[in-house]
Amino acid sequence: MAEGVYAGSHRSARRGAGVEFGGHRAYTPGDDLRWLDRRSLLLHDRLLVRQFETETDRALRLVVDATTSMGYRGTGAPGAKLAFSALVSAALARVAVSSGDPVGLTYFGGGPNSRSLPVSGGREAFERILGSLEAAEAGGDARADASVLERALAIIARSARRGSIVVVLSDLLDLPEVAADRVSAIATRGRVLVVVQVLDPDEVSLPFEGTVRLRSLEGDVVVETDVEATRARYLAALAELTSEWDRALAARGARFVRAVTTDDPVRIVREIVQAAR
Amino acid sequence: MHFVYGLALLAAVLVAAPYFAHRLRRRRGEERVFAAARLVPPAPPRARRRSKLEDRALFGTRALAVVGLAVLGASPLVRCSRLALQRPGGASVAIALVVDDSMSMRALSSGTTRFDRAKEGARQLLASTREGDAVAIVLAGAPARVALAATTDLGAARAAVDALVQSDRGTDLDGAIGMSHALIAQLPQVDRRVVVLSDLADGHPDGPPIGEGTEIPTWVALPELREPAADCGILGADRLGPRVRVRIACSHDATALGREVTLLDGDRVVARAAAPSGESGETTLMLAEPADGGPPAAQADSLQAHLTGTDAIAADDTAPVVIEAGPGSIAVVADSVDELAVTGGAPVVEQALAALELDVAVRPIPALPDRSEDLAPFAGAILDDPPGFTPEERRALGSFLEGGGVVLLALGPRAAAAPLGASLDPIVPHAVVWGPTPVPGVDPATSAGVLAESATSLQDVAAKSRVTLAPEDVGNFEPLLKWKDGPLFVAKRSVGRGEAWIVTLPFAIDASDLPLRPAFLALLDAWAAEARARAAPRRTDVGVPVVYDGPVARVVPPLLGTYTVSVDSKRELRVASLVARELDLRPRGAAPAAGGAGLGDSHAAIDISSSIALLLLGLTVVEMTLRLRARTRAVAET
Repeated sequence: MAEGVYAGSHRSARRGAGVEFGGHRAYTPGDDLRWLDRRSLLLHDRLLVRQFETETDRALRLVVDATTSMGYRGTGAPGAKLAFSALVSAALARVAVSSGDPVGLTYFGGGPNSRSLPVSGGREAFERILGSLEAAEAGGDARADASVLERALAIIARSARRGSIVVVLSDLLDLPEVAADRVSAIATRGRVLVVVQVLDPDEVSLPFEGTVRLRSLEGDVVVETDVEATRARYLAALAELTSEWDRALAARGARFVRAVTTDDPVRIVREIVQAAR
Repeated sequence: MHFVYGLALLAAVLVAAPYFAHRLRRRRGEERVFAAARLVPPAPPRARRRSKLEDRALFGTRALAVVGLAVLGASPLVRCSRLALQRPGGASVAIALVVDDSMSMRALSSGTTRFDRAKEGARQLLASTREGDAVAIVLAGAPARVALAATTDLGAARAAVDALVQSDRGTDLDGAIGMSHALIAQLPQVDRRVVVLSDLADGHPDGPPIGEGTEIPTWVALPELREPAADCGILGADRLGPRVRVRIACSHDATALGREVTLLDGDRVVARAAAPSGESGETTLMLAEPADGGPPAAQADSLQAHLTGTDAIAADDTAPVVIEAGPGSIAVVADSVDELAVTGGAPVVEQALAALELDVAVRPIPALPDRSEDLAPFAGAILDDPPGFTPEERRALGSFLEGGGVVLLALGPRAAAAPLGASLDPIVPHAVVWGPTPVPGVDPATSAGVLAESATSLQDVAAKSRVTLAPEDVGNFEPLLKWKDGPLFVAKRSVGRGEAWIVTLPFAIDASDLPLRPAFLALLDAWAAEARARAAPRRTDVGVPVVYDGPVARVVPPLLGTYTVSVDSKRELRVASLVARELDLRPRGAAPAAGGAGLGDSHAAIDISSSIALLLLGLTVVEMTLRLRARTRAVAET
């Protein structure tokens, strides 16, 4: 799967300090003030940052949500959301390793076998990531325990260097209210952030019928509802959630990708690679 | 099983079915695990949503209508504890309600008095009467009275029942039932009944059963009124000086053991003593001077005797303290010369009164007053050989006697020699004769009453002369003592509400040795006791009529306590006392035929169809109004 992705599409280039001018983008707090375009500020009263393209190694940091909700698998889905995320993560790791970039893996939540891996390069690193992803299992409640997310983000914020690409794979459904701000903050300091929302087909269509009592996997929420009467409102709420994340990420220059477990993983990997450029 | 019960069960199933259907449709939905449950808005199930109330007022109206219909359907099966007449023949009936308003009906039963329960029973019976029925109401408090003569005006009967009030009278059940028979015996209704609403406690528990052997069927209703009860009450409280005697009686097998008798001056307890331990008894209390400097209890004229504790009837636990001997003084009209004793001092009669140490003042006056107001302060007057009475004196004396005064008239030579225009009327209308005594001494065998024991001391009374009454006057007097040859020696007669005593010898020692005999003191003592008793409040049994001459012919005290009666501008204090047999709460028996079979029902069905119909009509109006309002609102919103 990775072979069809990185062939001709992977660019080991990043915008930031360099020689070749790469264009402008809006300033976000945390950007290096050396690249602030003072001329643009004086002429247009807008804060813009100048970008440059340079050839460099780009570390790939994979952040996989392994909380309990990611273990959900609907009746029409080929696998759980965590499994789909692991598949996409493995493909991204393969692409990075093939390009000579180091890869690291961080989970938030997850069972005892979900072991994070530091950034390293080479085929061995890929094998270790593959082994970790295969052993990963869902567990933990990010909504009840905010530290689950905080710990993972703290590691990224502390260790991801400028130019790193951070790919977060999560359903974004049961994260704390402040998660969007905290995650999008990774996009500062020259890091590239791509957030991939992985959903089950049930979650994008609410296919149940009649009166059901829906119990969440995290947060201990039980809702009795008449599906036909509330499906439209649910889809609107889901769209609103997605929109909120999209707005928060766009404000920091990050990218948002939505994936459903029934989607073609190759297409999703390609979208992620495109978004990370 | 009766067909109606099957129908009722079917109706119950029909009423319950929608409810269970609703419960089934309200079953909880299937539980599923769903990661995005947090984003799913809750919504009640469709069945519940469909039953959501859009108009609560309209729903309430319809629900009430359904309930009303259900109650209407159930009413033939519902019976409540209420009295109703049975009509086996379906014809009009004539009923005589005997309502007992005696003291025993004050006993509490389930928080209400027996009388109130009887009154409520009378109302329930009247509610079951129809047009054409005749109703009479008789009260069984002694004496039995007719509260309502037989009438077909049921509204008047209801008003008469509403106007009934409790009294403290004794019980006259036999008289009331006999009166009821007389009231309805001649009525055209073929079906005649007597309904007795009483506790049957008339003080004769061994009397013949009520309703036995009567021509008109008798129904003794409300058996709950005959539940056993215990009661103690104060029959009377009499005071003589500082000593108060309280008589207490209790119902059968009950005692006042452990209770106290207290004397109350307002709210202040001035004396207390333990109540007697038997079924009846007497307690004597002494009034002492208060230690706190308050007014002396012995002078209080509003003392109440109270029996502490609780029993079935509270009204008879308190009674006014009656003064046994009333206040007032005795006027003595005696000749200042002839009546003087040789040893000096006051006239003999005054000395004799002083020797008796009566609790009254003796006031000598020179002549009989010729104004009635001047005699009013005196409880009695002793007239020793007056030379007749002038017309003014006669008028004043007559008024004094009519008002209840007591006069002791000693007849002597001056009385027999009354001047022209003077007479001894109104005591002795005709002239009296002063003549020699043919046989000395009196005949003790003729003595009666108070002089019976002391008459022997007059067997040889020495009197040269005596007064003889005219034959026309002798018959007016009740002899208390006669001379040996037959004429009156001491006699008395009633004049109005008062009493006049005569002695046919004067009280002068020169005329006879009567004042020196012990019988003289006995005579004065008896006469003074009569005078004091008449000045004291009269005690009568509650409910017993007091008959007067004059415009006020009859006074009946219906309640216990003191009454002030004014007759001819003279006030008289009377005390209505408890009838002792009312404390016996044991009921008389009731004949088996008086159980009410075929006459009435104690658990009658309720016909509420008219009320329900009115309710449904009202609900229909309310629903139409609500619908109209809703439509108007919808048009306005559009």
